[in-house]
Amino acid sequence: MAEKILSKDGLTGLIASVTENGGRFIAPTIVARQIVFKKVAAASDIAGDYVLARNSFKEFLFPQTEVIAEFKLGKDKVEMSGVEPRTPYTVVFGARPCEAASLAGLRALFTWDFVDEFFTKRDEKTVVITVGCTRGDDSCFCTTVNLSPEATEGADVYMRETEDGGYSVSPLTDKGRKFVEAHELAFSSGAAKLKPLFSPEKIKEVDLKRISERLKDKSHYDDPVWAKLARKCIGCGACTFTCPTCRCFDITDEGTAFEGERRKNWDACQYDSFTLHASGHNPREHQYQRWRNRFMCKFNFYPEKFSSKGCVGCGRCIRVCPVRLDITDVMEEFSK
Amino acid sequence: MSMQVLKDVVEMNNIYLPHLVTIDEIIEEAPDVRSFKLVFQDPALRESFEFKTGQFALYSAFGLGESTFCIASSPTRKGYVECTFRRSGRVTGGLAQLSVGDTMGFRGPYGNYFPVDEWKGKNLVFIAGGIGLPPVRSVIWNVLDRREDFGNITIVYGAKTVADLVYKEELKGWDERGDVTLVQTVDPGGQTPDWKGKVGFVPTVLEEAAPAAENTVAVTCGPPIMIKFVLSTLGKLGFADQSVFTTLENKMKCGVGKCGRCNVGDVYVCKEGPVYTAAEIKRMYNDF
Repeated sequence: MAEKILSKDGLTGLIASVTENGGRFIAPTIVARQIVFKKVAAASDIAGDYVLARNSFKEFLFPQTEVIAEFKLGKDKVEMSGVEPRTPYTVVFGARPCEAASLAGLRALFTWDFVDEFFTKRDEKTVVITVGCTRGDDSCFCTTVNLSPEATEGADVYMRETEDGGYSVSPLTDKGRKFVEAHELAFSSGAAKLKPLFSPEKIKEVDLKRISERLKDKSHYDDPVWAKLARKCIGCGACTFTCPTCRCFDITDEGTAFEGERRKNWDACQYDSFTLHASGHNPREHQYQRWRNRFMCKFNFYPEKFSSKGCVGCGRCIRVCPVRLDITDVMEEFSK
Repeated sequence: MSMQVLKDVVEMNNIYLPHLVTIDEIIEEAPDVRSFKLVFQDPALRESFEFKTGQFALYSAFGLGESTFCIASSPTRKGYVECTFRRSGRVTGGLAQLSVGDTMGFRGPYGNYFPVDEWKGKNLVFIAGGIGLPPVRSVIWNVLDRREDFGNITIVYGAKTVADLVYKEELKGWDERGDVTLVQTVDPGGQTPDWKGKVGFVPTVLEEAAPAAENTVAVTCGPPIMIKFVLSTLGKLGFADQSVFTTLENKMKCGVGKCGRCNVGDVYVCKEGPVYTAAEIKRMYNDF
């Protein structure tokens, strides 16, 4: 299939075409001087020349809060009913190869035996368009976890920026091909000069195989190195909220004595109440234990249980951490 | 919030949607501990509902949320389920305010179960502490309802004080049966003047009772510290780790392997548990 091009004007047409079909077009845009994934109305809203958005696009598949059921308490009876999730046709434009790779793990988790249709129904109606990175920063480490700006895992369409401000377009999945066909007027044929990709240097001291072996040896749980490594963590949980693979949640009720709703809300393994038993006992009472759990989740649970990446090297947790606790330092420690 | 979206027919399979149950009976077991007998409001479900001993469920107080407890009744008793809980937080506080006839939510059964069928012909020892008796009680009634399938049955149960013992009427019944050996104990200082049972911690009393390990399966549940010492005592008495079963009661929100908090290292208690042998427990990460 001939190479397709999406010009700047074409992008405007694409957004209009998606929106006219009842879809929402999500792209990195500038909000309060930060790059944020958000619904956009025009190509001019889309930020250019950015590393990656502050938030991951996971919130469009797995919202920070959502109603899962509603209830009404009458005099003689209680009515409870499930809520159909709002699942508009969604196009995520400008995902980076790192965060797109997080989809495999999320899909595995939400369909593990019990299928969470709040996730899968949205996923089915979402097209992910990855745009290869032309910029990076000191926190990027995708190459260290075996990804790269050219990685296409999780992408329905892979694009690269061209020197004239457009994009070269490669549909990769059935969903991606259908998407390009459905909006074919926005695309043109031809070739254009591509902007060079930015690839962060691999952290030579990190050895994923070695990390995996070290974590499988259960004695490391009692190694005092954990308390040392995580000492400065203040347990704010910001790493988990910005992480594209983190997916822990809470289920809570909100409402009055007469009616209300049950919600699924993002939660974080970094909070002491996360695992606190009713008896007062807490299996992960100390912050270092909670930090250890998160690291284990990324480099043991996800790879071992779901055969997928728990860490995609996007570096959001490093950028957002108020105490500069750098996950790659811990990866180095466990590569020894 | 709009009630217009309230639909009778659920068009998706919503794994988080509970069944509605009516409270049929409430028993005050101990200070702040009560049992509910629950009946499904859907008549078809009342007939078809099945579970296995050791499985758990999430119980909701509408407007307050869900809490996880084991199903305390036996699957041999059809048409209802029972749960026993201590009032300790927001949800259990809300549940404690409900009366007979009130509606609550029930989501389950989830998790694995005690392999009771594999224990045919064996002697059984049950060791429980405090509010750890409810999951064990499900197994006890399960095996008592098919008593002829098993050998000697010994129950060692203790609580902080006499008042804290749960299922007091049933304890009396088990004590009076000729085919069960019941050893009851309370922690030192927890006895009353007319207390006829033992005084001492459960692991110590278990060691004194010294049930024979040969051809015997042990089932234990209680506070983490009690389980730890009971496992060690059972080891001393000659029980093999694969003949000792316990159930882990970690905090859960979803019950279906998604919400991420019940894990002990790489093991998700809600999916791969809550029932484990001592051998499995010993292989886990030290994340208790």
